[in-house]
Amino acid sequence: MRQAHEQGDALFIEGGGTLRGMGAAPSRAGRTVCTTALRKVHSYSFADLTVSVGAGITLRALRLALAEHGQFVPLDAPRAQHATVGGTLAAGWLGPRRHFYGRARDYVIGTQIVLADGTLANAGGMVVKNVTGYDMSKLYVGSFGTLGVLTSVNFKVLPASPCTRVFIASLPEHSRLRATDAIARLSVTPSAAFWVHGFRKVVDGEDGPDGRIFVLHEGSAALIARASRDVRTALGRAGVPETQIIDTGASSSFDRVLDACTAVIGQRSVTYRMNGSPDELEARLRSVYTAAHKSELAAESLVDLMNGDLFARISGKDAHAFSERIESFDDLLHAGAPRAVVVASDSPIRTALNVWGEPPVALERMRAVKAAFDPQGTLNPGRFVGGI
Amino acid sequence: MNMHERLIEALGADAVKTEPEDLAVYAFDAYSQALPPSAVVLPASTQQIAAAVKVASDCGEPIVPRGAGTGLCGGAVPAKGGVVISFARMNRLLHLDVKNKRARVQPGLVNLELSQQIRSTDLFYAPDPSSQKVSTIGGNCATNAGGPHCLSYGTTVNHVLGLEIVDARGEVFTTSIDDAGYDLTGVLVGSEGTLGIISAIDVRLMHLPEAVRVWLAAFGDVEAASETVSAIIGAGIIPTALEIMDDVIVAAVEAAYGAGYPTDAGAVLLIEHAGFADDMDEREYAIRQIAQDHGALSWRAAQTQAECDALWAGRKGAAGATGRIAPNYYIQDVCVPRSKLPTALHSVTQSARQHGIRVGNVFHAGDGNLHPLLMYDKRDRRQVAAVIGAGNEILQSCIELGGTISGEHGIGFEKRDNLLLVFSTDDLAAMGKVRDVFDPRRVLNPEKIFPAGVGCTEVKGGE
Repeated sequence: MRQAHEQGDALFIEGGGTLRGMGAAPSRAGRTVCTTALRKVHSYSFADLTVSVGAGITLRALRLALAEHGQFVPLDAPRAQHATVGGTLAAGWLGPRRHFYGRARDYVIGTQIVLADGTLANAGGMVVKNVTGYDMSKLYVGSFGTLGVLTSVNFKVLPASPCTRVFIASLPEHSRLRATDAIARLSVTPSAAFWVHGFRKVVDGEDGPDGRIFVLHEGSAALIARASRDVRTALGRAGVPETQIIDTGASSSFDRVLDACTAVIGQRSVTYRMNGSPDELEARLRSVYTAAHKSELAAESLVDLMNGDLFARISGKDAHAFSERIESFDDLLHAGAPRAVVVASDSPIRTALNVWGEPPVALERMRAVKAAFDPQGTLNPGRFVGGI
Repeated sequence: MNMHERLIEALGADAVKTEPEDLAVYAFDAYSQALPPSAVVLPASTQQIAAAVKVASDCGEPIVPRGAGTGLCGGAVPAKGGVVISFARMNRLLHLDVKNKRARVQPGLVNLELSQQIRSTDLFYAPDPSSQKVSTIGGNCATNAGGPHCLSYGTTVNHVLGLEIVDARGEVFTTSIDDAGYDLTGVLVGSEGTLGIISAIDVRLMHLPEAVRVWLAAFGDVEAASETVSAIIGAGIIPTALEIMDDVIVAAVEAAYGAGYPTDAGAVLLIEHAGFADDMDEREYAIRQIAQDHGALSWRAAQTQAECDALWAGRKGAAGATGRIAPNYYIQDVCVPRSKLPTALHSVTQSARQHGIRVGNVFHAGDGNLHPLLMYDKRDRRQVAAVIGAGNEILQSCIELGGTISGEHGIGFEKRDNLLLVFSTDDLAAMGKVRDVFDPRRVLNPEKIFPAGVGCTEVKGGE
């Protein structure tokens, strides 16, 4: 990196490439730095509930290492077998269990980063409480590789719950609102709950016209038993005929829903993410489907009921039709949902879209931060918000 | 016009203090004493804060934001004089959104008052530093304040959704953790007033738990109590709070409050678990078993709300109660990996003994966050020197155990020079870059956090 810096070369940083569909087009050409070789578990003290890993370790490998001691970090992102810790954090990916456990950034207790000029800087440490200067790790998480390359991350970890259970049910449209509302209000809070419309084969391999509701509970056996009774009652009252329960294989079910968030259909789809409060979900859904209809494109949706996130996959019947119509959809969508962000697409038209949505109020200050860390603009130039 | 006149013109006479007898008290916080400020302003709005900043900045005076002044490392005292901005008149809950579990508050709102004001909605604000009856949300944000319940709920930064900031030039901007771009919210929290002045905070609220139980275990000494804590965490049980007090502190607490702690124990472990009713019995059984395995002399479950409240009041009033048994005390704030707690405590005991200093221990054992209270009489210079010596040794041994120099109180003025014990100049230079963006002239709370002479190297010429 020092060498690239001296020559003023652009560097693009890649982990597992699973979130390659995010971000704007690079403003110039350059070389790629791939972090996947940085995949060691440097230290893991299960008695201290802390772990330090190379930023190139996959989410799956980290999960397995921690599971050996009945522990985990709530870092939920698509394609965990390829996604790296560093990439997931740098992209600022928000997982569905965050309403329950907190965001990924809340579990990062230390980082090591290589800055644009090749300097190595450490932040935080290996303790769970630390107020020693600025919390630089917070700045690096979500910085999209524009301030440096994360090489090492320290996490605080949690003990895993003894039991995990997934409930899946087909949801006829007339039951949808009552059912989703009842699930969001359960007294035993689900770790995650989704309503899925479309995304063929995402949940259990079956295709069908109805939406499906998917509820994940984690906890003690007693709590899961209580949750099961409540889920069945709630869905039954909402007119949902039957509920499937998955215990073993619950976590791969959950993974498949996560994978759906960035699953593309050849070069004829784009997936947007619109975050917001759960009570506005209905309005957002309506605006997505209206805009899709007006643009003569198809829409599928994956709704995170607990956080209020909406993933909408918009597709055309072929790549040509898609690229003709998607820009008008993009304009319509952003008129109603200014903060919609593109999270997945293999279509070349992607970079013509408004991929980051409305810029943040403090954008100028963010530009100043970028200029302070990377004055020559060598790291991921042009890829981030506001063309940073 | 001189600065006083300009401040009065901008904010009105009742928002500005200029008389020496009024200014003198602002030279102090809970830890230290510095210079009295040139003026103190008490703005009632963000616009007034901005106006004050512009005047002070024009006059070349530093600016020192101040909450309740309960900070323990000189964060709120004017190291170089200047204008103190007090938030005493900005102490309201501005907006409550029950459905989405969030609220917007002014920086001067007292921490505990926020939870009290929203109690009827079944929501609460989780971060609970021991100072919460007095300390303000703004001040809590400045130091990323902790407290006993951070073990399960996280620290202040995990509960801040966004900020409104008045910057060093008197311009206002807002941040939100839901904004695309850099997490400015995350880096502003814990920046101890050196990057911007917090004029409003969007906080995350949580549902009050379904069930809460409080248990008290007595042990022969702090080592046994801390081994129990390590074993509880190591067994994968994370209670809502795990607090230890030794006999020195318990004696002071009981004399001051009669909270109900056993005075014949070497140490007490206060355990709280909040969550679902279904889990409580199993939890209690598991934790009690571990305590017994590590030599618990007694086990008690609080039976009534009043009993729980009394036990917590005793714990949170511990530092204050120490005033009865020593004319002065110095509270440290070191944090070590949890499994190293017994070793760290041993070092504390050793250092105190070797320097002939009486020490009391009260701490967030579950987080490995120790607060040795070193007691002395500041009129005796030998005792002062002994406390400084013991304090430095304790700091050093905690760092050697993989720990840090501040778990929740912050760096302030007091620990600036210790920062180089845990960070390299490159590490600090990265922080300096952020400072350069937000406060290149170092007008906001100068002489805090960064060691003298460090963090200034990135200042661009001509600013």
